Amino acid sequence: MPTLELRDVGKSYGGLPAVDGVSIGADDGEILAIVGPNGAGKSTLLKLIVGLEPATKGTIVFDGEDLTNYPPHRIRQRGIALVQQTPRAFPSMNVLENVALAALFGRANAHRDEEKALARAGEALEFVGLADRRFDHVGNLNLHQQRFLALARAVAGDPRVLLLDEVMAGLNDAELATSISIVRAIRDLRHITVIWVEHVMKAVMSLAERVVVLNFGKVLTQGLPQDVMRDPAVVEAYLGETSQSA
Amino acid sequence: MSDQAVSTEGTALIGGAERRSARSLGALFLPLLAAAALLAPVPLWLGDSRVLMGVALLGLAFACYTIGFNLIFGSTGQLFLCVGALAGIGGYGAVLLADRQGVPLLVSILLATVAAGLVGGLLSWIAVRRSLGVIFTGIITLIFALAFQNLLLGRGDLTGGESGLRIQSGSDSFLGDRILSYYAMLTLVLLFLLVHGLLRRSHFGWGFRALRDDEVAAELTGVNVARYRVIAALVGGAMLGLAGAVYAFSRGRISPSTFAFAQVDVVVLVMLAFGGIGTLLGPILGAIVFTIIDELLVELGQLRLVALGALILVLFLWVPRGIIPSLGSVFRKDH
Repeated sequence: MPTLELRDVGKSYGGLPAVDGVSIGADDGEILAIVGPNGAGKSTLLKLIVGLEPATKGTIVFDGEDLTNYPPHRIRQRGIALVQQTPRAFPSMNVLENVALAALFGRANAHRDEEKALARAGEALEFVGLADRRFDHVGNLNLHQQRFLALARAVAGDPRVLLLDEVMAGLNDAELATSISIVRAIRDLRHITVIWVEHVMKAVMSLAERVVVLNFGKVLTQGLPQDVMRDPAVVEAYLGETSQSA
Repeated sequence: MSDQAVSTEGTALIGGAERRSARSLGALFLPLLAAAALLAPVPLWLGDSRVLMGVALLGLAFACYTIGFNLIFGSTGQLFLCVGALAGIGGYGAVLLADRQGVPLLVSILLATVAAGLVGGLLSWIAVRRSLGVIFTGIITLIFALAFQNLLLGRGDLTGGESGLRIQSGSDSFLGDRILSYYAMLTLVLLFLLVHGLLRRSHFGWGFRALRDDEVAAELTGVNVARYRVIAALVGGAMLGLAGAVYAFSRGRISPSTFAFAQVDVVVLVMLAFGGIGTLLGPILGAIVFTIIDELLVELGQLRLVALGALILVLFLWVPRGIIPSLGSVFRKDH
């Protein structure tokens, strides 16, 4: 049984479907990539999972519990974390406090123990390589570091499922390699399921264990990365264009 | 001092956030003791003057109002333009219970405090449920404040209408004594500062800072934004109600103008903006400074409001973030 399962999930804006009857599942500890052209509904799907947008149909089941249309904080406390393409940091807090906040309100800290949260935040910053920046203001971090900060925030909350929304866009080769190794380590060392929306096909092919292709809000196909890549319909419709740009 | 230490101090003071090393109990009690030491001797200087003690009492009442408003607006971004109305629920509620129903003084104050807290919580709950932003929250709370004023005027049989009520209860208690009532109000100021300070040190403080920075990011991090807002409004509303009730009995007379929007909310906004929104000591600093300035300008007569307005304009141009955050910036530059 999948850890996270979407059953016939849909979302419409003014009658136009952005996500149309998507049924997919992610197994425990799996790295699942979701690809597709712009406007395919990938990011909307992640927003539905974390409760930022209400689903207009279908159910989202996590560990046997129906989370459909729960508020975001409850979904986060259940163990599903989202890292967005443009990270949202808290400007009144330094780097350490940004991460400690996530640890304080995360799944494993029901008693809101501040000391425990700060210790956990330190570990998470060590994990993503930002330990020496812990007392910096978040505005002093570049985009790449801000994404690592967002990853640290996600990890500090002790998630079971990590959703990544195009976190590797705009990175150079070295940054891409670091990001890939961090995401792989998150899965390997912490056994976190990763659902990952991405346009950078080089990263997808290197990291993903399974790929779901979305088109016009629907699942076009899914399977192993190399199989999906060879699917003529996928190549023609999506990957030809994106693999060139990647 | 190392660069790292400099940056620690720098970031930690932003937005009223306290440096971690300064989050000890001593750091909380020190400002309270300083405020107590500053304000406790006032009756020794002014005790002989009924008028000046009345001004001092009013200043402390405004300090209480500003702390309550700061908890609601400064901490959680809810623009409650019904500070006077919530204080009025406390004031009129307690007086009517005590004078008309014969409820014991302290019980009437307690019940009125609870009522004001519940109304504050209800207004916040409505704003949260309807996902109202700052402006619309301001509009619905302003409408509530105006409706409350009309209720006071319309139910003149209960409230005494425009001329208000002369309060019988409490005149033979400690609240009937101008010195003791001053200390009662000062105790409230210190109590409210302590409550606000303790909230800031707890997970509420973390939640308040997060939702003030970015509400959506706070939710995505696991902060129950709606719950924190309603709790802040419940506690802040109760503070306003309690201060309104104690002030009413101390003054011995209330009327709709005692709790009117123009007489309370506008002044409280100015005091908080001057002291520093979201800071712990900003409200009390703003209340003290503006009470003194207002009194010094009395001799100007009708020109007093013009002078006050000009002064506010200059101060806001000079220190737009308020005195406390500006002092924090100066301190950081010096170190």
